[in-house]
Amino acid sequence: MLAFALSRLARAAITILFVVTFAFIVLRLSGDPALLIMSVDAPPEAIEAFRKAWGLDRPIWEQYLAYAWHALTGDFGKSMRDGRPAIDLVLERLPATLAITLPALALKLGIGIPAGIYAALHRNSLADRLTMMVSVAGFTMPSFVLALVLVLIFGVTLGWLPASGADSVWHAVLPIVTLGTAGAAIMARFTRSAMLEVLGQPYIRAASAKGLAWWLVVAKHALPNAAIPTVTIIGFMVGSLVAGAVIVESVFAWPGIGRLLVSAVANRDLAVVQALLMVIAAWMVLANLCVDLAYGWLDPRVRSGAR
Amino acid sequence: MGFHRRSFLAGSTAAAGALILPRFAIGQADNRPSITIAVQQIANSASLEILRERSNVGARTFSFIYESLITQNLLGKLESVPGLAESWRRIDDKTVEVTLRKGVKFHNGDEMTADDVAFTFSRERMFGPDYDIASNKTLFTNVLIRDNVQGMTLPPEVPAVAKRLWPALEKVEPVDKYTVRFVNRRPDPTMEGRMVSGSSIISRRAFTEAKNWLDWARVPISTGPYKVREFKPDQSLTLDAHDEYWGGRPPLKSVRLLVVPEVATRINGLFAGQFDFICDMPPDQIPGIEKNAKFEVLGSTISNHRLTVFDKNHPQLIDPRVRQAFTHAIDRKAIVDSLWSGRTAVPAGLQWEFYGPMFIKDWAVPEYNPAKAKELLKAAGYKGDPIPYRLLNNYYTNQTATAQVLVEMWRQVGLNVPIEMKENWQQIFDKNSPRAVRDWSNSAQYDDPISSIVNQHGPQGQQQQVGEWTNEEMNKLSVSLETEGDITKRRAMFRRMLEICEREDPAYTVLHQNATFTAKRKDIRWKASPAFAMEFRANNFAMS
Repeated sequence: MLAFALSRLARAAITILFVVTFAFIVLRLSGDPALLIMSVDAPPEAIEAFRKAWGLDRPIWEQYLAYAWHALTGDFGKSMRDGRPAIDLVLERLPATLAITLPALALKLGIGIPAGIYAALHRNSLADRLTMMVSVAGFTMPSFVLALVLVLIFGVTLGWLPASGADSVWHAVLPIVTLGTAGAAIMARFTRSAMLEVLGQPYIRAASAKGLAWWLVVAKHALPNAAIPTVTIIGFMVGSLVAGAVIVESVFAWPGIGRLLVSAVANRDLAVVQALLMVIAAWMVLANLCVDLAYGWLDPRVRSGAR
Repeated sequence: MGFHRRSFLAGSTAAAGALILPRFAIGQADNRPSITIAVQQIANSASLEILRERSNVGARTFSFIYESLITQNLLGKLESVPGLAESWRRIDDKTVEVTLRKGVKFHNGDEMTADDVAFTFSRERMFGPDYDIASNKTLFTNVLIRDNVQGMTLPPEVPAVAKRLWPALEKVEPVDKYTVRFVNRRPDPTMEGRMVSGSSIISRRAFTEAKNWLDWARVPISTGPYKVREFKPDQSLTLDAHDEYWGGRPPLKSVRLLVVPEVATRINGLFAGQFDFICDMPPDQIPGIEKNAKFEVLGSTISNHRLTVFDKNHPQLIDPRVRQAFTHAIDRKAIVDSLWSGRTAVPAGLQWEFYGPMFIKDWAVPEYNPAKAKELLKAAGYKGDPIPYRLLNNYYTNQTATAQVLVEMWRQVGLNVPIEMKENWQQIFDKNSPRAVRDWSNSAQYDDPISSIVNQHGPQGQQQQVGEWTNEEMNKLSVSLETEGDITKRRAMFRRMLEICEREDPAYTVLHQNATFTAKRKDIRWKASPAFAMEFRANNFAMS
């Protein structure tokens, strides 16, 4: 298990390095932050002074080496717009994002998994068809459309909930529901198909034939075996906790990581974009690592490399 | 006299009451409303330092906080009116003496004096320590911005902007507590005009006591009707009434500017009662908002014109007749009527009425005359070769739709103008492939053509700096206009500049005046300014 964990850790480190390097090069080739931050009407000398002050006039490889060296010592640079450490800006926004993505994840799992199990156990029934119909509608509707529909109903027409902002707990309700709906729909479909796959296996029939109560067959034999594909999806959802709310944050004017990413990219605030991508990549890689380790724990064949 | 627990409690309660009650009473008496304004952005540079943030959104934000010596009448036609200056007079062609308004208080309670005014224009705050008045070259502090966090070193863009606002300012010296003299190195008839856009006065004590430049730029101390309580870049700005404001107690207890990037979200927030005002409304959203009887959209033209700009080095544009054909092929009124619902105007070229005596009344943009455009193209021998149009996706309101209309109008006279979508300004200015046509907008910061045609198209203007266009006569006139004091001669020079830049050797052509639209609750009585600035002083806010 240790060798398995170490190999996954090494892979994770390489992935983060790749993401950071790729972002570094692409950002510098795709637009001049001096023009974006200082506006097109700024005097040319001021733009040159800005480039010099931030080292943008140096060769890209030299900039990369300097960045990598500082990053190794924990210095991820400072925001060109804000002047503060980029990593501080990112960590400052993280709680706001988690405040909507964590409850949304709970909603996805709390509704999606039971709905999927129920639909699978009642295959081809009216309840199954209704569940799947709702779930298809849920994950095919773009989040910005759902967000605006929810705002129109609950914010504008009924006046029950705030339409945007982040001033109170009530402001979080609509973003959470928007994020949770699509995820719950996806979760329900995956859980249903995983359960159906397992319920058709010979060992389920054998367990039933032994006279075991059906709920015990489901709980002890079907659910653990259906968990592996479900864990994969949960891994993706956990991975998107940090950066999975870009659109929803913009629509609801929620001051989280997503909005910081949009404004930092739009302004080519290089250090902030890099810090964001590093945090997002690290989180995603960590989530995948946990999934890999969970596979190993759930299925001994994975950790031993057996087929 | 004995001291018992009961008497102690009674005494304590009385003392606490004495302390609390007056404050409570004040709180009760202050029944002024607080409002929330949803905006697209508060400040692009994430700071509230007026010398760093030179954007349209910044102009709106700063109208709450800062004040200039001479200001614009925001409820009139933007004509110059006394601000923090009570009066001013010319000593000679290089010197202006300003008498300050007495009893003006900064947000920190200090009285504004000549010392604060002089400090506002100092090297420490404005020009940087390396400023050399004898040199025409702009000098910059050569310290990395990252070091600014530890000290008051100015970011390099601050001295650059300062130098642009005041290219030849030698000194600002206090004469007495309420009088200062602005001394220029060379004759400059626009010194009073420069005071409109470049003389927002700050508190010397507040600046020097700030821990670092960034802290200062987050909570600047000036004299405006509202003071900064809290600024969260890209999120919100909360302002409190500056109750010692010289112009009367502000009508609002507090104002909250909230960044709501999505237009639909701003509109929904207005309808839901979360916002009292929403700014930056695209014209196509106005009918939808006004269908609701509780809300209305105010707006007006602002001192900013949209232009089409030419690069005369492009092989097809070297002949001025081809550029002239571009200008005659545009039906500007059709653009205003269709894309702006008639809510803006076609101006008289690159000038504004608030120029006063410098406004050339009988000037106009080139007439819409497709037949003339065709003749010009024929005479120039244009064979239909492509003339690329580099375009950003709606950097300006209606930009893409306007471009599509323009391309069709040009096609009708025989011009082949393919659109090339670009992602940013660097790609627009890229010299590695032939440049020809692009979009731009020009503003006038004060009531003189130097603030527009000279600053944007003269020898130091962007168009010449990026190498798109130049004209020897225009350059000579630009230099002369900056120093000439005689109004008749100045008018003649400006007219000639318009002839060169808009007719003979077109550098640009004006499309229409820009406009900004603000939606609000109808039960609030408030008038919009013909500018990005929002006026919330005592004379411009009341509840029905």
